[in-house]
Amino acid sequence: MEYIVRTENLSKHFGQEKAVSGLEMKIPKGEIYGFLGPNGAGKTTTIRMLLGLMKPTSGRIEIFQNDLKKERLNILKRVGSLVESPSYYPHLTAKENLEAMRKIVGMPKQRINEVLEIVRLTAAGDKKVKGFSLGMKQRLGIAASLLNNPELLILDEPTNGLDPSGIIEIRNLIKSLPSECGMTVLISSHLLSEIDQMATTVGIVTKGKMIFQDSIEAMRMFAQQSVLLKVSESDKAWRALLGRGMKAGLDNGIISLPQQSDENVAEAVRGLVEDGFSVYRVEEEKRSLEDIFLQMTREEQAG
Amino acid sequence: MMGKLLSAEFMKIKRKGIWFLTVLGPIGVVAMQMVNYGVRKEYLFRQNDDRWGYYLDNIHSFTPLAIVLGIVILTSFMSSIENETNAWKQLMALPVSKMGVYLSKFTVLSVLLLISSVLLLLFTLAFGISLDLGGEIPYAGLLKYSFYPFFAALPVLALQLWAAAVSVNQGVPITLGILGVILTYAGYALPDWLIWKWPLLMNDWEEPLINVLLGGGAGLILYAAGMIDFVRRDVK
Repeated sequence: MEYIVRTENLSKHFGQEKAVSGLEMKIPKGEIYGFLGPNGAGKTTTIRMLLGLMKPTSGRIEIFQNDLKKERLNILKRVGSLVESPSYYPHLTAKENLEAMRKIVGMPKQRINEVLEIVRLTAAGDKKVKGFSLGMKQRLGIAASLLNNPELLILDEPTNGLDPSGIIEIRNLIKSLPSECGMTVLISSHLLSEIDQMATTVGIVTKGKMIFQDSIEAMRMFAQQSVLLKVSESDKAWRALLGRGMKAGLDNGIISLPQQSDENVAEAVRGLVEDGFSVYRVEEEKRSLEDIFLQMTREEQAG
Repeated sequence: MMGKLLSAEFMKIKRKGIWFLTVLGPIGVVAMQMVNYGVRKEYLFRQNDDRWGYYLDNIHSFTPLAIVLGIVILTSFMSSIENETNAWKQLMALPVSKMGVYLSKFTVLSVLLLISSVLLLLFTLAFGISLDLGGEIPYAGLLKYSFYPFFAALPVLALQLWAAAVSVNQGVPITLGILGVILTYAGYALPDWLIWKWPLLMNDWEEPLINVLLGGGAGLILYAAGMIDFVRRDVK
């Protein structure tokens, strides 16, 4: 598979603190890669290293199959980015802000109007950015990141400060980029629902370590329901089920049957009744991606 | 790449009051003498037979202070463009080298100060002529007093730019700047090795050119050191 971004054993330490350690990130071409993790997990530090804004303590970064250390300028020509809070020059208008960057990336002037149109800021193009709302500044940042028509777009929390309709707009924009412009997108967020609606591949990071990296479908597999049984003498009943060769868990006196077909559940219940246990409740436990995310990040903290 | 960076930098200093300050500096220096000569022209004419030379000395008594103060204010304005919303990260994520960015900032500041120097020359000449000082106009002296202070002040510029570019807290370069202005003000009483004294164009050998050469040399060294440190650091 062709990887647009690949990191090997990427680490960054600030003194004693290990912000990122041994990160192996793989982003295949044409994917929307959701980079997920709680606040302070090392997402922004990783992104800053991908853009050459920070030097890794150790490890290697390859973008477009080139070493970032050696080919930084050539790589950055093909990358667009928005890091953390939007940066802008408040005393200049939106168009002048983009013009200052356009001069450096060397695109035709027309491109400024195009990107303003994409983020729906055309009407405010001649206003000073000083008076923009946070959402408008964020849009300007996204416009700036699209200026050089990049092959890899890196967006750090791009929907921060946007209103619901703005979020939907930006989400649709991001979703359309891979198919329409052939872009690969890396998008970070601490909100799973956000990533869930856009990403095709997910990387979950916590405490500077990558704890999950696969397609969003693979992640959804974790979300399959399990059936919970509340019975009399749960301990004995659990053993009885195990004795019948069924997969079952016991937690706080409640038996759980993970990922079972209807027949298996029926069989388990029938078995329990035949063995003389009283079945009080049979209920389905639905786990959202949110639960899985929390569980994954919590496990990492415990371990 | 340098051309692109410079045209972007000149675009960013719009509406910052930077051009205004560039013009205000030399006007201020000459205006001091307008007051001086306006109040006691006859007295000043009697002080020295070489009226042009005496006039230039008077002008030069404020030039070093103006140039050091100008450097402090301009560098802090210049770095505020990026510091204000932490646009360093946005700028450096573009395909530009850090060295290029640093050099473009330094170049813009040098150009602004040179423009100030040219204006100082023109204003000094114009007011001098209007004073009817008599005798030949000492063009050599005029050039010296207009441009030597700039070159002698290059180390201060390099130092202030570095402090402003790497400090997260802008109180650091401002403090350093205020200290520098005080040192320049008190320069007469200070040893020759202090860079803040150099724009006064005074030294033990009474040869202003030494200050120019020293300024260029030390300026280059301080500039290189500052740039290397800037490149080495992670972007704020």
